[in-house]
Amino acid sequence: MTKHGSWFSGQGSGGRGQQETVTPDRKEIAVGMADIKIGKAPAMISTILGSCIAVCLYSSKDKTGGLLHLMMASSKGASKINNFKKAKYADTGILELLGQLKNFYGLNQRSLVAKIFGGAKVLKNVTAPIGENNQQAVKEILKENGIAIFASKLGGEKGYRIKFDLETGKVKCQIFGHEFEEY
Amino acid sequence: MSKKIIVADDAPIIRLMLKDILTDAGYEVVKECENGRHAFESYKELRPDLVTMDIVMPEMDGIQALEQILKFDQNAKVVMVTAVDQREFLMKAIRLGATDYIVKPFENDRVISAVKKALGKE
Amino acid sequence: MENKDKIKIDRALKLIAKLSIDKSSQVLSKMIKSGASIELEDVYMADISRVTEEVMLKADNEVVGAFIDLVGDAPFKFLFYVNTKDSLVLTDLMLRREIGLTKEFNLYAQSAVQELGNILASAISNIFSTDFQISMKPKPPTVINDFESIVFQEYVIDAACERNEILIIQSIFRIVKFDIHCSMFIMPLGKSEQILQYVTGFM
Repeated sequence: MTKHGSWFSGQGSGGRGQQETVTPDRKEIAVGMADIKIGKAPAMISTILGSCIAVCLYSSKDKTGGLLHLMMASSKGASKINNFKKAKYADTGILELLGQLKNFYGLNQRSLVAKIFGGAKVLKNVTAPIGENNQQAVKEILKENGIAIFASKLGGEKGYRIKFDLETGKVKCQIFGHEFEEY
Repeated sequence: MSKKIIVADDAPIIRLMLKDILTDAGYEVVKECENGRHAFESYKELRPDLVTMDIVMPEMDGIQALEQILKFDQNAKVVMVTAVDQREFLMKAIRLGATDYIVKPFENDRVISAVKKALGKE
Repeated sequence: MENKDKIKIDRALKLIAKLSIDKSSQVLSKMIKSGASIELEDVYMADISRVTEEVMLKADNEVVGAFIDLVGDAPFKFLFYVNTKDSLVLTDLMLRREIGLTKEFNLYAQSAVQELGNILASAISNIFSTDFQISMKPKPPTVINDFESIVFQEYVIDAACERNEILIIQSIFRIVKFDIHCSMFIMPLGKSEQILQYVTGFM
């Protein structure tokens, strides 16, 4: 019988949109809510999300990219002192992802393309169009930063499982109850 | 002729459990309702001998439905069947005129004895 | 907050967790007429990114989850979930019929998890009312069938929108005879911290 433990292992500082560099020998790295992970081939970055949006940015020339798992469209009104998580919001998160790719790997937005996933309405009794708001905000901010959206799979009422392959730039996306499809 | 009962609960599995218990005991479940509003409308239409009523339901809760039914028919027999075991709710239901208050998870015997007792008061 | 107040709050939380989890395992056992042991009982503060990442890494199941908001003096969010395939066994147990009769995830299997969640959440609110005179009432459950990570994320998302660390009371029950594991979470919201102060007065 499997021994069960608490979800939280108590490690990690949390907080400030911490990035974790993916080294080539680490095969698959998961990205939690309000977080960013960046890395190089041959690694894979993965996440699972519902109303949140995954923004995958990739440079095919450098086989390098990153995944942002954002929760909300705008950081307006959020307190920006004390443990502000830039990755929580589309406006600050996308800029943070771009910043990390530039600072760590020397990439600029001209070399990057985007693929976006998620924004589902999983809980039917939620009246606010969170998923739709997130979708709209992401598209606008990517456009403002001159980044083309090469592929997207958005909406619906079920969760998304995403696997972003930094070797090829392809993203495998599985919606609950269906098979994986490649984008 | 079998006594007619309406079962009101938002959980289909509880409606099925109660229907099985009541049918095995010789009662006829004439309607299953998923919320208080539907229970009240069905009561007016069918005038059953008894209603089993959950409390926590969408649209109209069981306490509101109990109140509506008893305003409509002061002789209505309503047995509350609920997971909420709090004095405030128990007292309110009894004050409004509920015949009994069964707490989930329930035993079959408890349901049958409450129904028999309620119908025996006629 | 002074250190001694923090210690009192910590003890209050552990007391609430213990009472809630003990009561829940009794109620679960009674509902399905089969013994349910407590495999895990924990209270912790979790960073939203780290805890959701760990769920993705540890869990790869398809589950059915019931979400219940407990409203009143001490608002809490409650979650109960079980593997989709195990929900079929729970359905047969609740209906007191031969295990294996429910062959696919249907309205009754979904309803079984919905009602188990309702009964467990109500049992916890009943304790608050009886033992601490704190009025709480469950709202009707919402049920979803999805990846385990999704169920957990949708559970914490409202709290996670407001803050980066969330307080969670987690338990896992094992229905011994059938080796079924059920997860239960209780998450205090906003003004529940005042309630915890109030609970320390009982200790």
